[in-house]
Amino acid sequence: METDFNNILIFETNIKTEKDKMIISKVLNSNPEIEQWNIDLEDIDSVLRIESRTLNASQIIKMITEQDFKCSELTE
Amino acid sequence: MRTRDSNKEEIVKQKAIALLVEKGIEGFSMNRLAKESNISVATLYIYYSDKEDLIKKIGIEIGKNFFDEMSKDFSPSMSFKEGLYKQWENRIRFAQSKPLEVNCWELLTHSSYGEYILEKSLLDFKITMGSFFRNSVEKKELIPISKEIFWSVAYGPLYSLLRFERDGKNFGGGPFKLNKKTIDETFELVLKALTP
Repeated sequence: METDFNNILIFETNIKTEKDKMIISKVLNSNPEIEQWNIDLEDIDSVLRIESRTLNASQIIKMITEQDFKCSELTE
Repeated sequence: MRTRDSNKEEIVKQKAIALLVEKGIEGFSMNRLAKESNISVATLYIYYSDKEDLIKKIGIEIGKNFFDEMSKDFSPSMSFKEGLYKQWENRIRFAQSKPLEVNCWELLTHSSYGEYILEKSLLDFKITMGSFFRNSVEKKELIPISKEIFWSVAYGPLYSLLRFERDGKNFGGGPFKLNKKTIDETFELVLKALTP
């Protein structure tokens, strides 16, 4: 199925390692409002990509920064 | 409201292919691609979830294009000579019209993504070529040999010629241009080796 582009949120983070990823995995996986997510650890900006029909950018930023990571929305 | 901009997407694809060929998989970065395509990093990540996703999608698309080109005017029930010649023509056309795609395809199929990409894009083509191979053996127009030997003899010489063509040089350093006479001469030798 084609992903609806309007439900995608993109963030720049400082999540760099697999260990960091494990930490945020717990938070993101346990949230039923997040349909899909992934983080590109190979990228300089450690881009976090979230697919959610209901959550907005500031809610995601809150979730990530609460785990002591930096997170800011990348806009087009 | 975001909409799909297929024009922009096509530019990204072409840039991605060029960048992969230039930098290799290791050296390829999403950031650089966004810059070169004049789009924001965010837009790029809307199209592709990460580098791995992009590489797989680009690979599958090239594979499908390749398959479409190879299938043009070809049928597995053709006589061996006719069918193989058609394959040569189709492969030459693809190599000459899409040199970057061919380079990128080589790169991706010989990487750790190779198996996935081949499985997703060339499954139908494998079935078609498999039945062409079996029909030809049954009609006694092709000697029964392993698929690897078949491929090496049937297409190896062609790809060597295409390499000379790509480099534009013959062994003496003089100019080399692939023409019909050279193709046909080589094809006849290949046919001699493969027919009973």
